[in-house]
Amino acid sequence: MGFVNDVVPISVTGRSPELDELLVLVARGDETAFERLYDRLIASVFGLIRRVVRDRAQAEEVAQEVMVEVWRTAARFDPARGGAMSWVMTVAHRRAVDRVRSAQASSDRENRVAQMGGEVAYDHVAETVTTRLEGERVRRCLDGLTELQRQAVTMAYYGGYSYPEVAGLLKVPLGTVKTRMRDGLVRLRDCMGVER
Amino acid sequence: MNDEIHTLSGAYALNALPFRELGEFEGHLSRCETCSIEVRGLRETAARLGAAVAEAPPRALKSRVMAQIAEVRQEPPQIEEEEPPPAEVVVPLRRGKGRWALALAAVSAAAAVSIGVIAVNEIRSRDASIEETQSLLAAPDAVVRKVEMVGGGSATVVASESHGKVMFTSELPALDPSKTYQLWTIGGERIRPAGLVDGGGIRTATVELPAGTDHFGVTVEPAGGSEQPTTEPVMLAKVT
Repeated sequence: MGFVNDVVPISVTGRSPELDELLVLVARGDETAFERLYDRLIASVFGLIRRVVRDRAQAEEVAQEVMVEVWRTAARFDPARGGAMSWVMTVAHRRAVDRVRSAQASSDRENRVAQMGGEVAYDHVAETVTTRLEGERVRRCLDGLTELQRQAVTMAYYGGYSYPEVAGLLKVPLGTVKTRMRDGLVRLRDCMGVER
Repeated sequence: MNDEIHTLSGAYALNALPFRELGEFEGHLSRCETCSIEVRGLRETAARLGAAVAEAPPRALKSRVMAQIAEVRQEPPQIEEEEPPPAEVVVPLRRGKGRWALALAAVSAAAAVSIGVIAVNEIRSRDASIEETQSLLAAPDAVVRKVEMVGGGSATVVASESHGKVMFTSELPALDPSKTYQLWTIGGERIRPAGLVDGGGIRTATVELPAGTDHFGVTVEPAGGSEQPTTEPVMLAKVT
Protein backbone atom coordinates (compact mmCIF):
# COMPACT_ATOMS: atom_id res chain seq x y z
CA MET A 1 0.00 0.00 0.00
CA GLY A 2 2.98 2.22 0.35
CA PHE A 3 2.02 3.54 3.73
CA VAL A 4 3.71 2.49 6.88
CA ASN A 5 1.60 1.45 9.77
CA ASP A 6 4.13 1.97 12.50
CA VAL A 7 2.07 4.12 14.80
CA VAL A 8 0.92 2.90 18.15
CA PRO A 9 -2.85 2.79 18.37
CA ILE A 10 -4.04 4.55 21.44
CA SER A 11 -6.65 3.24 23.73
CA VAL A 12 -10.04 4.78 23.33
CA THR A 13 -11.04 3.90 26.82
CA GLY A 14 -9.10 6.25 28.99
CA ARG A 15 -7.29 9.48 29.32
CA SER A 16 -3.55 9.20 29.11
CA PRO A 17 -1.58 11.21 31.68
CA GLU A 18 1.50 10.50 29.64
CA LEU A 19 0.06 12.33 26.65
CA ASP A 20 -0.81 15.28 28.86
CA GLU A 21 2.77 15.43 30.11
CA LEU A 22 4.11 15.27 26.58
CA LEU A 23 1.95 18.18 25.49
CA VAL A 24 3.08 20.23 28.48
CA LEU A 25 6.69 19.55 27.46
CA VAL A 26 5.87 20.54 23.89
CA ALA A 27 4.66 23.90 25.19
CA ARG A 28 8.19 24.45 26.51
CA GLY A 29 9.69 23.89 23.10
CA ASP A 30 10.68 20.25 23.54
CA GLU A 31 10.92 18.86 20.00
CA THR A 32 11.58 15.31 21.20
CA ALA A 33 8.35 15.40 23.18
CA PHE A 34 6.59 16.74 20.10
CA GLU A 35 7.89 13.86 18.04
CA ARG A 36 6.61 11.34 20.59
CA LEU A 37 3.27 13.09 20.72
CA TYR A 38 3.14 13.01 16.93
CA ASP A 39 3.81 9.27 16.88
CA ARG A 40 1.09 8.63 19.41
CA LEU A 41 -1.61 10.79 17.87
CA ILE A 42 -1.02 11.14 14.17
CA ALA A 43 -3.06 8.11 13.12
CA SER A 44 -6.09 9.39 15.00
CA VAL A 45 -5.57 12.91 13.72
CA PHE A 46 -5.10 11.82 10.13
CA GLY A 47 -7.92 9.29 10.21
CA LEU A 48 -10.39 11.84 11.51
CA ILE A 49 -9.34 14.50 9.01
CA ARG A 50 -9.52 12.03 6.16
CA ARG A 51 -12.99 10.98 7.24
CA VAL A 52 -14.18 14.58 7.10
CA VAL A 53 -12.20 15.91 4.15
CA ARG A 54 -12.15 12.66 2.11
CA ASP A 55 -9.48 13.72 -0.36
CA ARG A 56 -6.20 12.14 0.71
CA ALA A 57 -3.89 14.92 -0.47
CA GLN A 58 -6.01 17.58 1.21
CA ALA A 59 -6.20 15.49 4.35
CA GLU A 60 -2.40 15.39 4.47
CA GLU A 61 -2.24 19.16 4.12
CA VAL A 62 -4.76 19.67 6.90
CA ALA A 63 -2.99 17.14 9.15
CA GLN A 64 0.25 19.03 8.66
CA GLU A 65 -1.45 22.34 9.55
CA VAL A 66 -2.97 20.74 12.63
CA MET A 67 0.30 19.35 13.96
CA VAL A 68 2.08 22.64 13.37
CA GLU A 69 -0.76 24.44 15.16
CA VAL A 70 -0.40 22.00 18.07
CA TRP A 71 3.28 22.91 18.27
CA ARG A 72 2.61 26.63 17.99
CA THR A 73 -0.27 26.88 20.47
CA ALA A 74 0.65 24.11 22.95
CA ALA A 75 0.93 26.69 25.74
CA ARG A 76 -2.84 27.06 25.62
CA PHE A 77 -3.32 23.46 26.71
CA ASP A 78 -4.41 23.22 30.32
CA PRO A 79 -4.53 19.66 31.69
CA ALA A 80 -7.05 20.80 34.29
CA ARG A 81 -9.54 21.45 31.51
CA GLY A 82 -9.35 18.21 29.57
CA GLY A 83 -6.91 15.70 28.16
CA ALA A 84 -4.26 16.21 25.50
CA MET A 85 -5.94 13.72 23.18
CA SER A 86 -9.19 15.65 23.29
CA TRP A 87 -7.38 18.95 22.82
CA VAL A 88 -5.48 17.81 19.76
CA MET A 89 -8.50 16.10 18.24
CA THR A 90 -10.56 19.26 18.70
CA VAL A 91 -7.95 21.25 16.79
CA ALA A 92 -7.94 18.56 14.09
CA HIS A 93 -11.70 18.46 13.78
CA ARG A 94 -12.03 22.22 13.57
CA ARG A 95 -9.42 22.46 10.88
CA ALA A 96 -11.02 19.67 8.91
CA VAL A 97 -14.44 21.27 9.22
CA ASP A 98 -13.04 24.66 8.20
CA ARG A 99 -11.62 23.03 5.13
CA VAL A 100 -14.88 21.47 3.98
CA ARG A 101 -16.91 24.54 4.85
CA SER A 102 -14.61 26.99 3.13
CA ALA A 103 -15.83 28.88 0.12
CA GLN A 104 -14.03 26.77 -2.44
CA ALA A 105 -15.87 23.77 -1.17
CA SER A 106 -19.30 25.29 -1.30
CA SER A 107 -20.36 24.08 -4.71
CA ASP A 108 -18.68 20.68 -4.34
CA ARG A 109 -20.35 20.45 -1.05
CA GLU A 110 -23.81 20.87 -2.43
CA ASN A 111 -23.10 18.03 -4.82
CA ARG A 112 -21.73 16.01 -1.99
CA VAL A 113 -24.86 16.61 0.03
CA ALA A 114 -27.01 15.63 -2.89
CA GLN A 115 -25.11 12.44 -3.59
CA MET A 116 -24.50 11.32 -0.13
CA GLY A 117 -27.43 11.49 2.25
CA GLY A 118 -27.14 10.37 5.82
CA GLU A 119 -27.06 6.63 5.40
CA VAL A 120 -24.06 6.53 3.16
CA ALA A 121 -22.08 8.62 5.59
CA TYR A 122 -22.85 6.26 8.37
CA ASP A 123 -22.27 3.05 6.48
CA HIS A 124 -18.92 4.25 5.33
CA VAL A 125 -17.95 5.12 8.85
CA ALA A 126 -19.33 1.93 10.26
CA GLU A 127 -17.25 -0.09 7.87
CA THR A 128 -14.08 1.66 8.90
CA VAL A 129 -14.89 1.50 12.55
CA THR A 130 -15.47 -2.24 12.57
CA THR A 131 -12.11 -2.96 10.99
CA ARG A 132 -10.28 -1.60 13.98
CA LEU A 133 -9.83 -3.31 17.24
CA GLU A 134 -9.79 -0.06 19.21
CA GLY A 135 -12.98 0.93 17.48
CA GLU A 136 -15.00 -2.01 18.75
CA ARG A 137 -16.20 -0.28 21.83
CA VAL A 138 -17.07 2.87 19.94
CA ARG A 139 -18.95 0.80 17.42
CA ARG A 140 -20.88 -0.95 20.13
CA CYS A 141 -21.70 2.36 21.77
CA LEU A 142 -22.86 3.82 18.45
CA ASP A 143 -25.15 0.84 18.08
CA GLY A 144 -26.73 1.74 21.39
CA LEU A 145 -28.02 5.06 20.05
CA THR A 146 -31.32 5.63 18.36
CA GLU A 147 -31.13 5.90 14.59
CA LEU A 148 -31.62 9.65 14.67
CA GLN A 149 -29.10 10.21 17.46
CA ARG A 150 -26.51 8.18 15.60
CA GLN A 151 -27.11 9.96 12.32
CA ALA A 152 -27.02 13.40 13.92
CA VAL A 153 -23.76 12.68 15.74
CA THR A 154 -21.94 10.93 12.90
CA MET A 155 -23.02 13.36 10.19
CA ALA A 156 -21.78 16.27 12.27
CA TYR A 157 -18.57 14.66 13.44
CA TYR A 158 -17.50 12.51 10.51
CA GLY A 159 -19.35 14.44 7.84
CA GLY A 160 -18.40 17.92 9.06
CA TYR A 161 -21.96 19.19 8.68
CA SER A 162 -23.40 21.95 10.82
CA TYR A 163 -26.55 21.09 12.71
CA PRO A 164 -28.82 23.10 10.36
CA GLU A 165 -27.30 21.15 7.45
CA VAL A 166 -27.93 17.89 9.26
CA ALA A 167 -31.50 18.98 9.90
CA GLY A 168 -31.93 19.73 6.20
CA LEU A 169 -30.46 16.43 5.11
CA LEU A 170 -32.50 14.37 7.51
CA LYS A 171 -35.59 16.55 7.07
CA VAL A 172 -36.16 16.97 10.78
CA PRO A 173 -36.66 20.20 12.76
CA LEU A 174 -33.60 22.13 13.95
CA GLY A 175 -34.54 21.73 17.59
CA THR A 176 -34.77 17.96 17.20
CA VAL A 177 -31.29 17.77 15.71
CA LYS A 178 -29.77 19.89 18.48
CA THR A 179 -31.34 17.69 21.10
CA ARG A 180 -30.37 14.44 19.39
CA MET A 181 -26.76 15.56 19.07
CA ARG A 182 -26.59 16.27 22.75
CA ASP A 183 -28.50 13.20 23.89
CA GLY A 184 -26.50 11.02 21.52
CA LEU A 185 -23.16 12.31 22.77
CA VAL A 186 -24.25 12.03 26.38
CA ARG A 187 -25.22 8.42 25.81
CA LEU A 188 -21.93 7.71 24.04
CA ARG A 189 -20.04 9.36 26.88
CA ASP A 190 -21.73 7.15 29.43
CA CYS A 191 -21.28 4.06 27.30
CA MET A 192 -17.57 4.75 26.76
CA GLY A 193 -17.03 5.52 30.42
CA VAL A 194 -15.58 8.95 29.83
CA GLU A 195 -14.64 10.51 33.13
CA ARG A 196 -16.67 13.54 34.02
CA MET B 1 -29.46 28.14 33.13
CA ASN B 2 -31.12 28.80 29.83
CA ASP B 3 -32.37 25.41 28.65
CA GLU B 4 -32.68 26.43 25.05
CA ILE B 5 -29.07 27.51 24.72
CA HIS B 6 -27.88 24.68 26.91
CA THR B 7 -29.04 22.09 24.39
CA LEU B 8 -26.41 23.48 22.02
CA SER B 9 -23.62 21.79 24.01
CA GLY B 10 -23.74 18.67 21.82
CA ALA B 11 -23.61 20.59 18.55
CA TYR B 12 -20.82 22.74 20.01
CA ALA B 13 -18.72 19.71 20.99
CA LEU B 14 -19.19 18.41 17.44
CA ASN B 15 -18.18 21.78 15.92
CA ALA B 16 -21.59 21.87 14.32
CA LEU B 17 -22.71 25.35 15.37
CA PRO B 18 -23.07 28.00 12.70
CA PHE B 19 -21.09 31.17 13.28
CA ARG B 20 -23.89 33.22 14.79
CA GLU B 21 -24.71 30.69 17.46
CA LEU B 22 -21.06 29.91 18.11
CA GLY B 23 -20.40 33.37 19.55
CA GLU B 24 -23.55 33.26 21.59
CA PHE B 25 -22.83 29.83 23.00
CA GLU B 26 -19.23 30.65 23.87
CA GLY B 27 -20.45 33.73 25.69
CA HIS B 28 -22.79 31.49 27.62
CA LEU B 29 -20.02 28.95 28.33
CA SER B 30 -17.82 31.57 29.91
CA ARG B 31 -20.56 32.18 32.49
CA CYS B 32 -21.80 28.62 33.00
CA GLU B 33 -19.47 26.27 34.83
CA THR B 34 -21.74 23.23 34.53
CA CYS B 35 -21.92 23.81 30.79
CA SER B 36 -18.12 23.91 30.56
CA ILE B 37 -17.87 20.63 32.41
CA GLU B 38 -20.45 19.04 30.15
CA VAL B 39 -18.72 20.31 27.02
CA ARG B 40 -15.42 18.90 28.27
CA GLY B 41 -16.92 15.42 28.65
CA LEU B 42 -18.65 15.60 25.29
CA ARG B 43 -15.41 16.70 23.63
CA GLU B 44 -13.54 13.76 25.15
CA THR B 45 -16.30 11.57 23.78
CA ALA B 46 -16.08 13.09 20.30
CA ALA B 47 -12.29 12.63 20.34
CA ARG B 48 -12.84 8.91 20.78
CA LEU B 49 -15.07 8.83 17.74
CA GLY B 50 -12.08 10.31 15.94
CA ALA B 51 -9.62 7.81 17.35
CA ALA B 52 -11.91 5.02 16.25
CA VAL B 53 -11.26 5.84 12.58
CA ALA B 54 -7.48 6.09 12.94
CA GLU B 55 -5.50 5.66 9.76
CA ALA B 56 -1.76 5.85 9.24
CA PRO B 57 -0.62 8.74 7.08
CA PRO B 58 2.37 8.47 4.75
CA ARG B 59 5.67 8.55 6.56
CA ALA B 60 6.76 11.62 4.62
CA LEU B 61 4.21 13.70 6.53
CA LYS B 62 6.26 13.41 9.68
CA SER B 63 9.42 14.77 8.12
CA ARG B 64 7.45 17.68 6.66
CA VAL B 65 5.92 18.49 10.03
CA MET B 66 9.22 18.16 11.90
CA ALA B 67 10.94 20.39 9.36
CA GLN B 68 8.20 22.99 9.60
CA ILE B 69 8.03 23.22 13.39
CA ALA B 70 11.76 23.92 13.47
CA GLU B 71 10.85 27.21 11.81
CA VAL B 72 7.68 28.09 13.68
CA ARG B 73 7.84 30.20 16.80
CA GLN B 74 5.64 29.01 19.65
CA GLU B 75 3.12 31.20 21.38
CA PRO B 76 4.18 32.22 24.88
CA PRO B 77 2.22 30.78 27.82
CA GLN B 78 -1.07 32.47 28.59
CA ILE B 79 -1.24 34.54 31.72
CA GLU B 80 -4.93 33.94 32.20
CA GLU B 81 -6.70 30.70 31.55
CA GLU B 82 -8.86 30.78 28.54
CA GLU B 83 -11.56 28.65 27.13
CA PRO B 84 -10.58 25.14 26.25
CA PRO B 85 -9.22 24.23 22.99
CA PRO B 86 -8.63 27.47 21.34
CA ALA B 87 -10.36 27.51 18.38
CA GLU B 88 -9.26 29.30 15.49
CA VAL B 89 -12.49 28.96 13.70
CA VAL B 90 -11.80 31.03 10.69
CA VAL B 91 -15.07 32.29 9.43
CA PRO B 92 -15.20 35.07 6.91
CA LEU B 93 -17.14 38.16 7.89
CA ARG B 94 -20.59 37.83 6.50
CA ARG B 95 -22.27 40.22 4.17
CA GLY B 96 -23.45 43.26 6.05
CA LYS B 97 -20.41 43.26 8.29
CA GLY B 98 -18.35 44.92 5.64
CA ARG B 99 -18.88 48.24 7.31
CA TRP B 100 -17.61 46.76 10.52
CA ALA B 101 -14.48 45.58 8.82
CA LEU B 102 -13.92 49.06 7.40
CA ALA B 103 -14.59 50.67 10.74
CA LEU B 104 -12.11 48.31 12.39
CA ALA B 105 -9.47 49.24 9.89
CA ALA B 106 -10.11 52.93 10.48
CA VAL B 107 -9.87 52.50 14.23
CA SER B 108 -6.61 50.62 13.96
CA ALA B 109 -5.17 53.39 11.86
CA ALA B 110 -6.36 56.03 14.29
CA ALA B 111 -5.23 54.18 17.38
CA ALA B 112 -1.92 55.93 17.60
CA VAL B 113 -3.55 59.30 18.06
CA SER B 114 -6.30 58.17 20.37
CA ILE B 115 -4.04 56.75 23.06
CA GLY B 116 -3.99 58.85 26.14
CA VAL B 117 -3.71 58.40 29.85
CA ILE B 118 -6.86 59.54 31.56
CA ALA B 119 -7.00 60.67 35.14
CA VAL B 120 -8.83 58.30 37.46
CA ASN B 121 -11.40 60.95 38.32
CA GLU B 122 -12.44 61.30 34.78
CA ILE B 123 -13.54 57.74 34.39
CA ARG B 124 -15.00 57.16 37.80
CA SER B 125 -18.74 56.89 37.79
CA ARG B 126 -21.50 55.88 40.10
CA ASP B 127 -21.94 52.42 38.59
CA ALA B 128 -18.40 51.17 38.69
CA SER B 129 -16.65 50.15 41.85
CA ILE B 130 -13.79 52.54 42.41
CA GLU B 131 -11.55 49.69 43.55
CA GLU B 132 -12.24 47.79 40.39
CA THR B 133 -11.50 50.80 38.25
CA GLN B 134 -8.29 51.60 40.09
CA SER B 135 -7.12 48.04 39.99
CA LEU B 136 -7.79 47.89 36.27
CA LEU B 137 -5.97 51.15 35.64
CA ALA B 138 -3.04 50.02 37.75
CA ALA B 139 -2.59 46.84 35.73
CA PRO B 140 0.81 46.96 34.07
CA ASP B 141 -0.78 46.07 30.76
CA ALA B 142 -3.75 48.44 30.99
CA VAL B 143 -4.68 49.99 27.68
CA VAL B 144 -6.58 53.26 27.94
CA ARG B 145 -8.41 54.77 25.00
CA LYS B 146 -10.50 57.88 24.74
CA VAL B 147 -12.56 57.73 21.59
CA GLU B 148 -15.24 59.80 19.90
CA MET B 149 -18.78 58.49 19.91
CA VAL B 150 -20.73 58.65 16.68
CA GLY B 151 -23.24 61.47 17.18
CA GLY B 152 -21.06 63.37 19.64
CA GLY B 153 -19.47 62.92 23.01
CA SER B 154 -16.64 60.63 23.92
CA ALA B 155 -16.09 57.32 25.61
CA THR B 156 -13.26 55.93 27.65
CA VAL B 157 -12.25 52.31 27.38
CA VAL B 158 -9.80 50.64 29.74
CA ALA B 159 -8.73 47.10 28.98
CA SER B 160 -6.34 44.76 30.72
CA GLU B 161 -5.55 41.39 29.31
CA SER B 162 -4.02 40.22 32.59
CA HIS B 163 -7.21 41.18 34.47
CA GLY B 164 -9.33 39.79 31.66
CA LYS B 165 -11.59 42.83 31.89
CA VAL B 166 -12.55 45.79 29.82
CA MET B 167 -14.28 48.84 31.24
CA PHE B 168 -16.35 51.22 29.18
CA THR B 169 -17.70 54.56 30.30
CA SER B 170 -19.55 57.26 28.47
CA GLU B 171 -22.51 59.56 28.69
CA LEU B 172 -25.08 57.69 26.64
CA PRO B 173 -28.11 59.49 25.19
CA ALA B 174 -31.48 58.02 26.10
CA LEU B 175 -32.88 55.59 23.55
CA ASP B 176 -36.37 54.67 22.48
CA PRO B 177 -37.54 51.82 24.78
CA SER B 178 -37.53 49.47 21.79
CA LYS B 179 -33.74 49.87 21.58
CA THR B 180 -30.70 49.21 23.74
CA TYR B 181 -26.96 49.78 23.65
CA GLN B 182 -25.06 46.55 23.24
CA LEU B 183 -21.39 45.98 23.98
CA TRP B 184 -19.19 43.69 21.90
CA THR B 185 -15.74 42.20 22.21
CA ILE B 186 -14.09 41.51 18.91
CA GLY B 187 -11.18 39.17 18.31
CA GLY B 188 -10.10 38.89 14.71
CA GLU B 189 -13.32 38.15 12.92
CA ARG B 190 -15.20 36.85 15.92
CA ILE B 191 -17.63 39.28 17.49
CA ARG B 192 -18.99 38.30 20.89
CA PRO B 193 -21.88 39.93 22.73
CA ALA B 194 -20.64 41.48 25.99
CA GLY B 195 -23.77 42.90 27.55
CA LEU B 196 -26.56 45.45 27.28
CA VAL B 197 -26.56 48.99 28.66
CA ASP B 198 -29.42 51.47 28.74
CA GLY B 199 -29.00 55.13 27.90
CA GLY B 200 -29.95 58.38 29.61
CA GLY B 201 -26.83 59.32 31.57
CA ILE B 202 -23.28 58.38 32.39
CA ARG B 203 -22.94 54.65 32.16
CA THR B 204 -20.02 52.48 33.13
CA ALA B 205 -19.77 48.80 32.47
CA THR B 206 -16.99 46.36 33.20
CA VAL B 207 -17.17 43.15 31.22
CA GLU B 208 -15.05 40.08 30.51
CA LEU B 209 -12.30 40.50 27.97
CA PRO B 210 -11.95 37.12 26.23
CA ALA B 211 -8.40 36.17 25.29
CA GLY B 212 -7.57 37.29 21.79
CA THR B 213 -9.86 40.32 21.87
CA ASP B 214 -8.47 43.20 19.85
CA HIS B 215 -11.40 45.63 19.72
CA PHE B 216 -14.30 46.69 21.88
CA GLY B 217 -17.41 48.16 20.31
CA VAL B 218 -20.88 49.46 21.04
CA THR B 219 -23.93 49.35 18.80
CA VAL B 220 -27.59 50.25 19.14
CA GLU B 221 -29.70 47.10 18.89
CA PRO B 222 -33.35 46.15 19.31
CA ALA B 223 -34.32 45.81 22.99
CA GLY B 224 -33.11 42.47 24.29
CA GLY B 225 -29.98 42.65 22.20
CA SER B 226 -28.78 40.77 19.15
CA GLU B 227 -26.57 37.75 18.62
CA GLN B 228 -24.39 39.71 16.25
CA PRO B 229 -24.33 43.43 15.53
CA THR B 230 -27.07 44.56 13.20
CA THR B 231 -26.06 48.22 12.97
CA GLU B 232 -22.87 50.18 12.56
CA PRO B 233 -20.93 50.77 15.78
CA VAL B 234 -21.45 54.03 17.62
CA MET B 235 -18.10 53.46 19.26
CA LEU B 236 -15.19 51.22 18.46
CA ALA B 237 -11.88 51.11 20.30
CA LYS B 238 -8.74 49.10 19.82
CA VAL B 239 -7.85 47.37 23.08
CA THR B 240 -4.44 45.92 22.31
